[in-house]
Amino acid sequence: MMLRTGRVDEEAGETSGRPDDHFDRGATSTVVSSPLGVLGWARWSWRQLTSMRTALLLLLLLALAAVPGSLFPQRSSDPNGVIQYFKSNPSGAKTIDALQLFNVYTSVWFSAIYLLLFISLIGCVIPRTRHHWIALRQSPPRTPRNMARLPVYERRIFTLAENAVEPITAIRAAEGVLRAQRYRTRLYENDNPVDEVDTASVSAERGYLRETGNLVFHLALIGILLTVAIGGGFTYTGQRVVVEGQTFVNTRSAYDSFTPGRFFSDSQLEPYSLTLNAFSVTYVENNPSTLGFITDYTASVSTQEQNAPQAVRSRIQVNEPLTIDSTEVYLLGNGYAPEIVVKNPAGDVVFTDTVPFLPQDANLTSLGVIKVPDGLAEQVGMIGFFYPTKAASTNGAFASIYPDLQNPVLTLNVYTGDLGLSTGNPKSVYALDTSMMTQIAGRGTANSAIEIRPGESAQLPDGLGSVEFLDTKRFASFDISHDPTKGFMLFFAITVIAGLGAAFFVPRRRIWVRASKNPQCLTVEYGGLSRGDDPALEAAIGSFTIQHENSLHQQSRSLQKKGTAAS
Amino acid sequence: METPSLAGSAGSGYSSVSPVTEIRAAERGEPIPFSGTFDTGTSGSSEDWLGGVVVVNFWYAGCGPCRDEAPDLEALNIKYQPDGVQFVGVNVRDQAGTARSFADKFGITYPSFLDADGGEIQLAFAGEIAPDAVPTTLVVDRQGRVAARIVGRLDRSILNTLISDAVAEQ
Repeated sequence: MMLRTGRVDEEAGETSGRPDDHFDRGATSTVVSSPLGVLGWARWSWRQLTSMRTALLLLLLLALAAVPGSLFPQRSSDPNGVIQYFKSNPSGAKTIDALQLFNVYTSVWFSAIYLLLFISLIGCVIPRTRHHWIALRQSPPRTPRNMARLPVYERRIFTLAENAVEPITAIRAAEGVLRAQRYRTRLYENDNPVDEVDTASVSAERGYLRETGNLVFHLALIGILLTVAIGGGFTYTGQRVVVEGQTFVNTRSAYDSFTPGRFFSDSQLEPYSLTLNAFSVTYVENNPSTLGFITDYTASVSTQEQNAPQAVRSRIQVNEPLTIDSTEVYLLGNGYAPEIVVKNPAGDVVFTDTVPFLPQDANLTSLGVIKVPDGLAEQVGMIGFFYPTKAASTNGAFASIYPDLQNPVLTLNVYTGDLGLSTGNPKSVYALDTSMMTQIAGRGTANSAIEIRPGESAQLPDGLGSVEFLDTKRFASFDISHDPTKGFMLFFAITVIAGLGAAFFVPRRRIWVRASKNPQCLTVEYGGLSRGDDPALEAAIGSFTIQHENSLHQQSRSLQKKGTAAS
Repeated sequence: METPSLAGSAGSGYSSVSPVTEIRAAERGEPIPFSGTFDTGTSGSSEDWLGGVVVVNFWYAGCGPCRDEAPDLEALNIKYQPDGVQFVGVNVRDQAGTARSFADKFGITYPSFLDADGGEIQLAFAGEIAPDAVPTTLVVDRQGRVAARIVGRLDRSILNTLISDAVAEQ
């Protein structure tokens, strides 16, 4: 790239007659004549990597690389989605998996961008900090000899009758004004020995905060990266379904699903329990057009810490999590949990439970699994549908038409056989493995599905026993998360913005003032140089000049007064 | 360990914890008092067994490994009865009917607390040496302190050794 433009420019250079030491020519000749050695290449790569441009590019790449994370289901947050993807599109899923698109944030390529950005930032910050540290301790540079060359330049000439102050006095006045404007200053006397005039000058610089802000911005960015990389390892998040009247205890075994960070250990879980006392839903009931819309969910809970004397009652609502110890408990979802009793033919209770049924649609048609492993002639499994407000469509299929309990009905398909629990392997409590079971009631069998309402009971086929639907309770699912990085993140986010603000809005500029006096007149020159973008420089010099001029006139008047008083 | 949300099995944490933890007498924590209601309706408390070794097993009926290890627990329960060792179950998910059917089927003769509603016993044992999976089996020494923990499906000979060690302590 560089080579090609060089050559083009060289050709153009010959016709346009550029001087031999033009930078384009130089570039071409170095590339051609002295190839870089290994060390040279290493140095070149390091310079490229640590340049500001690369850092920005990497930051952009990082943002782009995070995009697939929201396009494809992620194993860390949506493992079911990944399984689903594999089922519906097996060949595509394999390719996607090979590209690590199901684990974007831990993938090789994401880590590569991340680490390069990290190295780039550090490689950028260290030399700049050293440079800035030295600059902070140095006084402003000498006043340039020819100030008229500066981008902003003004000159005032006073006749001695008009203004008779000494150059050093004039410069001291300028220094005072500059210092009041928070410039760092340094005085130089007789620094222009070209002719025999009496001169003095002040050199002033301000806006060191700009570079400080820049460095703070970079450091805070590194802080954010570190917080995500290391702090993220100590986080954990887990979900648990709790039925009204039941209790969740914050131990690993109590979670339905759990995602620990890399450095998580079980002893990190703080001992407390959370009991769901009641769960209430508020519906729109007075507006026909939005009838049945939900306005609010409220979970009334009691929490008990291990060594606390008594439980504390509180409420959890959507977007209003409960903070307990160092965890936050969010309300994630909810649904119905029918209370089921199964009896053997002799009438003895062999199963009692309030079984959470997972909602399948907006009107809470819910699906649940009842497993009766012991106490009957055979193991019994039931797949149930619960309709809070049952209605039959024209083809006879049931559906729920309203989310509240207006016409609750439970239907059960019954299976007998082996529930698959004897293998010693853990089984999901929310799924029924029917591979070793025979269906004895429900569609496709001699017996129709069991259909019961609260308070009713029905006989199981084959004289197995009976099933009773006592009552309907609610369950809530909670998301319990621990994130120790939040405080750090807030701190670094604020610092990033503050640093960026300083780097953008604090102008860095140098101002020089020189006064010289010859027998005829006093000349004051003002020069300004911006370091970086500074559209206000000219105005700043202008107003400074006026301010200084006024102070000179004042001094001159008081000098004349003194003079007349003395004579 | 990645378990599907909501479809996850209760007690999803076998792999990341070391299955057997033994704590030397000098390093054990404070005694842990606990009490609750058995699936038979009567109540029980750790105070009833003070001075003896107690084996606490966390379980529920739909848990495969719990069913698998039930005969081992009952066998050791019978074996150590002369030594005054008390076995006690803590059911973390079920109600009385389900829990009793399990005991009947496996011929379990020791009592089980129902802890799904209150969670008091799980809370009492939460913390450093917590029941990190279901099943978890704890051996509690004569002073009421946790002396050993087996996370996951227990091995009969290991539990046998842990109990006899605890019994041998004075």
